[in-house]
Amino acid sequence: MNIAEERIDRLHALAREAASDRDHERAREYVRLARRVAERNRCGLPKAFRRFTCDDCDAYLLPGVNARVRTRAGGHVVVRCDCGATKRYPY
Amino acid sequence: MPLTPETLTRHELNGLHVEVVDAANPDLVGIAGRTVVETMHTLMVDDGSRVRQVPKRGATFEFEIPRTDEAAGAAKASGTASKLRSDTTGGFDASQSDRLADSSSAASRSGNCEGVAYVTVDGAQLLSRPALRTETTGDSKWR
Ligand SMILES: [Zn+2]
Repeated sequence: MNIAEERIDRLHALAREAASDRDHERAREYVRLARRVAERNRCGLPKAFRRFTCDDCDAYLLPGVNARVRTRAGGHVVVRCDCGATKRYPY
Repeated sequence: MPLTPETLTRHELNGLHVEVVDAANPDLVGIAGRTVVETMHTLMVDDGSRVRQVPKRGATFEFEIPRTDEAAGAAKASGTASKLRSDTTGGFDASQSDRLADSSSAASRSGNCEGVAYVTVDGAQLLSRPALRTETTGDSKWR
């Protein structure tokens, strides 16, 4: 595990902590920084990070707080951010 | 590669406890708290009552990094590894790896007490866009 991946892990934890303190703007800063680090080091982002961040507004998503999660009959789950963006994931 | 005194200048600073031990502006000396935001030229430190913005240039920071026994062992291993790497990549961009060698020698002046290590870093070594600090020595695939 190199420094970039570990930085992303730390930023993920910081973003979740900021979001659970309802400081969504600061969580956005951490999410953006983690994305930038991943992009510069070509190492990708962990799956949990990709699923719990909004692609449109970079918010860190906490289901029930700033995100709504619904399962659908077609075998996918819909995650909607409070900004209105939706994302579907198969399961 | 864990967070060690040698890797601190390339690692994540947000969330670490920091104290400003020296600064060009005497009013800033003594600010202590959690780093919450990093910009290219400043660190923002949440000292409990408010968030203070401290310029990196001209300041000296003392970061507090948690340290366990196994992390200390890994710290030594990775410290030597990072030194070796900066030596081998030296010819390519001499100025940058020299700067890193300076920073790791400065950073290794760290005290060690009760599971936390204190690392003193000159703010000038942190002058970089926050996302780009990680890649100055050659972990990047693009070399
Ligand atoms: Zn959104």
